Amino acid sequence: MNAVVCSFVRRSLLGAVLVFGAASAAAAAEDGDVFADSSRIASIGGSLTEIVYALGQQEHLVARDSTSLYPQEALKLPDVGYMRQLSPEGVLSVNPSGILALQGSGPKEAVEVLKKASVPYVEVPETFDHEGILAKIRAVGKAFGVDDRAAALAMEVDAKLKAAEQLTAAVKQRKRVLFILSMQGGKILASGGDTAADGIVKLAGGVNAIEGFTGYKQLSDEAAVTAAPDVILMMDHAGPAVSDEELFANAAISQTPAGAARKVIRMDGGYLLGFGPRTADAVHDLAVALYGADLGQ
Amino acid sequence: MIEAKEVSVFIGRRRIVADVAFTARPGEVTAIVGPNGSGKTTLLKALSGELPYEGRIAVNGRDLAAMKPAEAASLRAVLPQATSLAFPFTVREIVRLGLLGGRSGALAGESERLPERALAKVDLDGFAGRFYQELSGGEQQRVQLARVLCQVWAPVLEGVPRYLLLDEPVSSLDIRHQLTIMDIARDFARRGGGVVAVLHDLNLTAMYADHIHVMQGGRQAASGAPQEVLVDPLLEKVFGCRLRVGAVPPSGAPFVLPQSAAVS
Amino acid sequence: MADQSIAGPSGMTRLARGGEDGDRAARARLAIVLLAVMLGAAMLFSLTSGASDASAWAVLRDWVSGAVADGSATDMRTRVIIQDIRLPRVVMGVLVGASLAVSGAVMQGLFRNPLADPGLIGISAGASLGAVAVIVLGATMLAPLVALLGPMALPLAAFVGGLVATLILYRIATRQGRTSVATMLLAGIALAALAMALTGVLVYMADDRQLRDLTFWQLGSLAGATWQKIGTAGPVIVAALAATPFLARGLNALALGEATAGHLGIPVQRLKYVAIISVSAAVGAAVAVSGGIGFVGIVVPHLLRLAIGPDNRYLLPASALFGAAMLLVADAVCRTIVAPAELPIGIITAAVGGPFFLWILLRKRGIVDL
Repeated sequence: MNAVVCSFVRRSLLGAVLVFGAASAAAAAEDGDVFADSSRIASIGGSLTEIVYALGQQEHLVARDSTSLYPQEALKLPDVGYMRQLSPEGVLSVNPSGILALQGSGPKEAVEVLKKASVPYVEVPETFDHEGILAKIRAVGKAFGVDDRAAALAMEVDAKLKAAEQLTAAVKQRKRVLFILSMQGGKILASGGDTAADGIVKLAGGVNAIEGFTGYKQLSDEAAVTAAPDVILMMDHAGPAVSDEELFANAAISQTPAGAARKVIRMDGGYLLGFGPRTADAVHDLAVALYGADLGQ
Repeated sequence: MIEAKEVSVFIGRRRIVADVAFTARPGEVTAIVGPNGSGKTTLLKALSGELPYEGRIAVNGRDLAAMKPAEAASLRAVLPQATSLAFPFTVREIVRLGLLGGRSGALAGESERLPERALAKVDLDGFAGRFYQELSGGEQQRVQLARVLCQVWAPVLEGVPRYLLLDEPVSSLDIRHQLTIMDIARDFARRGGGVVAVLHDLNLTAMYADHIHVMQGGRQAASGAPQEVLVDPLLEKVFGCRLRVGAVPPSGAPFVLPQSAAVS
Repeated sequence: MADQSIAGPSGMTRLARGGEDGDRAARARLAIVLLAVMLGAAMLFSLTSGASDASAWAVLRDWVSGAVADGSATDMRTRVIIQDIRLPRVVMGVLVGASLAVSGAVMQGLFRNPLADPGLIGISAGASLGAVAVIVLGATMLAPLVALLGPMALPLAAFVGGLVATLILYRIATRQGRTSVATMLLAGIALAALAMALTGVLVYMADDRQLRDLTFWQLGSLAGATWQKIGTAGPVIVAALAATPFLARGLNALALGEATAGHLGIPVQRLKYVAIISVSAAVGAAVAVSGGIGFVGIVVPHLLRLAIGPDNRYLLPASALFGAAMLLVADAVCRTIVAPAELPIGIITAAVGGPFFLWILLRKRGIVDL
């Protein structure tokens, strides 16, 4: 994690602590990161649920959040709502022996009450880079007391990630990628730095076409033209789908190299942005989609 | 006594009433007459304390400007030209609002039935349960008068005379009810209270007023007893048209004067 | 007066059930008793229903029998669910529901308009701006403030935002010691737009984490109820609500217009002042802890006016009771309908309140559009 991001995260955490006076997420990690009783775990966060399945610990799961959509079997678990709007009683109603939550789960009040109910709460930090994925896997493994399996999975994912990254190592002409989260009413909501989209683009050897802001923000037409992306990246199943016609009919987009070449890549949101065990494959797929035949073989 | 000295009223930057002197005595009906836009209503609003004014207005010798709303409310009740109502109140609920200040002057046991008695007085017996908005304009005006009467039910309370300030009280009434209402006003004065009424009907004015105050262009044009004021030259000057007091229409055209009516 | 609509006779008889003499006081008193019972039932319902099977009775039994004191009580989880999740939610629901409904009723009386609502004249928008500012700028520009006030910062900022909006309005609309209610309404709409624009700027500046807090907060929910928040907002709401009974008679007189209210002996200017201050306090505090919950402020007083008449001496307490009960029931529904997840309460109040309100309007057409 680079220093800027690190200080940014710390600063907003500090703000959260001050605003709500609650024990913060940062403190939770110190509470203990191993479940004393891992028989009934609620998993909050799509990538965590994926990791639990990848570690073969799924029989311990009693609930998931609404972002946990993979693998298919996970959908059978009761859904306790969106990870950022948890209902504390809803979570407690599945009588969990522990809660495995991705960093940023909330709201704070809910987390606070869950801790007060003496349900062990393990928060797994998330950063959008190679090491972040491995750290996540190790943290989940540790929580379930299956450190060895986690180490093995982490090694496997590490290798696959390296291989995927290697694909683009020799590419000289880096492609500029504009990730568009949504285009409601023709307004482009694009990803700046410090997001999962930014992370995956970098891993796949691309360059985020947007510089100068973090998070997802609405882009002015002019900024979109200035960004001059070679490729548009979008999610497959998010909100009302934007057709290629619509996308390239946009005045700003049509002025860009991506618009001229009508180059758009669409990938499943959870797969693309999850930063879990499947990310190595996603990096590979994205790299291939970006550079295709140019890949140095 | 209500006494105004050198009263001027500004609305925005316009002076609507200019240096008016005005007196209304208890025991008398004082009428304010004059053409449209002559400042009658504005003067009445100053007298009621509704509009800020320059000069001095005293009610029973006390400075009106220094009075709290509740104190003023115990000395005078005001019937505005028109009242709009925001919510579906019943007639009784409206009339009861007159008792808000608790200084009606009715006997202890009477207060509860006062709205009904006031309604009976304005010939709206049995209307208590109706919705105000359901009534005709004239009926609504009489409901408002009943409310006003409740506020100063006793014309004299604890030795102090009280006043009715009425802005065109009969404007939307039929002739019978015009007389009913003016009779109520005269009765209020006979029993020791004071009445100030803005009137348009010169015949009713002649019939009921003890003192007439004529306004023209925001200034006082004349003030005096009906016989002194209702004279041809003054009326012609003030109203800007040829007028003859006491002239009968030529060639036997029918005419009806309120003076000829008798309320059964 | 000619433009006033005259209601059909059938509509009138339905409405006029107060009796021949037009005195609906007895009926209103009975309604208040019934509403109090209803609120009690709603509180009980809310406390005993939820996503989990935690039993409020078991917790009560433990307290009464002294099991809590000697440590032999029901498991901790049940007690946390009842005492730290459901009970604060019930208390906050009562406070927020009562304050929104009463504020609506007071504003409608003050503006002589059944559509007036704290949301309309910018009080809510101002409160939102204050809250959003703390959420977005709490780590940067407003950090010293947040450090000083701690968890009080957000509710206080919302409260101050609502109050500042109100005071600006009041200054704009007051000339020579007289407040023009019409000017205030128009200025309020403009001010609300301005506050929303500023909020928009802040939303634009927000990062992902803050955006999520914002969305959660703006949707309006009782989900964040904690004893701490109740401790902050509760006293403000209670104090503001305690002031409103003293406004009732004045607001009744105000139905006849400001001038007539003054003639009747009401200190109109002071009435307006007290009404505006208490409404902005109550709304600011309610918005601070529960976000923007719409609809209660308009629907509750309106339904009650149809049932017991517009007399504020009864309308205000009845609104408090009915508003509280309505919000509790709505909250209980949104907690259980998609359990173990939760719906935002605004969805329930609008989805249930909207059609019901339309039905009432259609049924009582002619009387309603005064």
